[in-house]
Amino acid sequence: MTKVKLVARDLEMSFGSRRLFNAELLELRQGDVIYLQGDNGSGKSTLMKILAGLMPPTKGQIDALGFAKNKWWQRNPLLGKAVYLHQHPYLFDGTVEYNLTYGLNFSSETKAKAKQRIGQATEMAQLGSLLNARASNLSGGERQRLAIARAWILQPKLLMLDEPTSNMDKDSQALVLQMIQQLKQEGAGMLLSSHQNCALTAICEQQWHIENKQVLISHQQTHSHSAQGALYVIAN
Amino acid sequence: MNDGWLALLQQALSLLFSLDPEVWSIIYVSFSVSFAALLITLIPSMVLGFVLAFAPFRGKWLITNLVQTLQSIPTVVIGLLVYLLLTRNGPLGDLRWLFTQEGMILGQMLICAPVLIAMSQAAFTSVDRRAWETSQTLGASWVRAVWTVCRELRMPLLLAIVAAFSRILTEVGCSMMVGGNILNITRNIPTAIALETSKGDFAQAIALGLVLLILALILNFALGSLRGKAMPRSH
Repeated sequence: MTKVKLVARDLEMSFGSRRLFNAELLELRQGDVIYLQGDNGSGKSTLMKILAGLMPPTKGQIDALGFAKNKWWQRNPLLGKAVYLHQHPYLFDGTVEYNLTYGLNFSSETKAKAKQRIGQATEMAQLGSLLNARASNLSGGERQRLAIARAWILQPKLLMLDEPTSNMDKDSQALVLQMIQQLKQEGAGMLLSSHQNCALTAICEQQWHIENKQVLISHQQTHSHSAQGALYVIAN
Repeated sequence: MNDGWLALLQQALSLLFSLDPEVWSIIYVSFSVSFAALLITLIPSMVLGFVLAFAPFRGKWLITNLVQTLQSIPTVVIGLLVYLLLTRNGPLGDLRWLFTQEGMILGQMLICAPVLIAMSQAAFTSVDRRAWETSQTLGASWVRAVWTVCRELRMPLLLAIVAAFSRILTEVGCSMMVGGNILNITRNIPTAIALETSKGDFAQAIALGLVLLILALILNFALGSLRGKAMPRSH
């Protein structure tokens, strides 16, 4: 089976006259688990949104390769290729179940498979007792778990998680880690952002670092807190 | 004095409950005209509100301010404008809509649209951008994402609809000028109340006033119960 990938070339993002970052070549392949590192305000979320098709870059080209052909009504070829999870996830007004199954309305999954996936996600995120609760009543950790479970159900080939364990207690962090590891085993490509090393970033095999307004790439494991790797510049 | 008030109230209630044909014809005209105006205006106004909220284009500021201004124009001035349009020598005189329900609908559309556009624009502007992004990244098409955003904004959008409907159902100026207050044809609740009060026939005026009051209570309680379920958002 062809592995899908997103390839960004000569990417540049500016807000007005302020350049945020640029990158010559970035590739997010199915199966890759990449740790996106950078200071606050360096553009991690923006880079993820650009790759997910939610925001156009100022310059550059992004190709989604290996995916099924777009429908005639799909104007943006990147949308729906990678699922992007906000740092503070947005939960729709309604029950936990409504949120959990939202994406299934647009997927081609069979009913039986979808039901099985919902059961697994509910169990894994420990949301079983909360299915009929209003999403607005959830705690911060529960909201994050629900958001990841909502994406997990869709079996995304590419997933971008923006600070997925920020402000989370240890139990919730462990649950999120378990779900992300499961996705990794299923072969999903992931881009995880964090401004500090943690258990989650330890599972990453590659590192993108936004530094001095450039995206740098390293192929070194990041499980050691002191490991910064021999970064090499691919931009400029 | 109190006896007089009670007697009037009794007469008013008996007019309503005895299904007095004149009173119910007035109620029917009022609701059919206002519903028609609301239905015709609703979708285009909401779309324009959406466009004004999200689309960056030249003249957006001007249009937004014009719409805001149109909201505060007295209904009698809109009535005058529609009258001049529909009068025999006016640009739309050939339609022969003066003193007809069609003319009243046209007038009420002009009153209703600015309220709907301005309030829906305000609602769409207040939407959390993440709602749109989350919907799209989870695979929703553009149309489904718009629908999701509207669902998230259902309270402010419903408020816009109720506010617009209340404004046209209770306006006197335009209906009086364009409709002409003809019984069984263009006499609606506000024009009938004005007429009956000037004649001193308070019973019918009170009966019709009660209809508006009951409607206002129903709409506000319905909205209140919906609003009660909506919880403040936390991030």
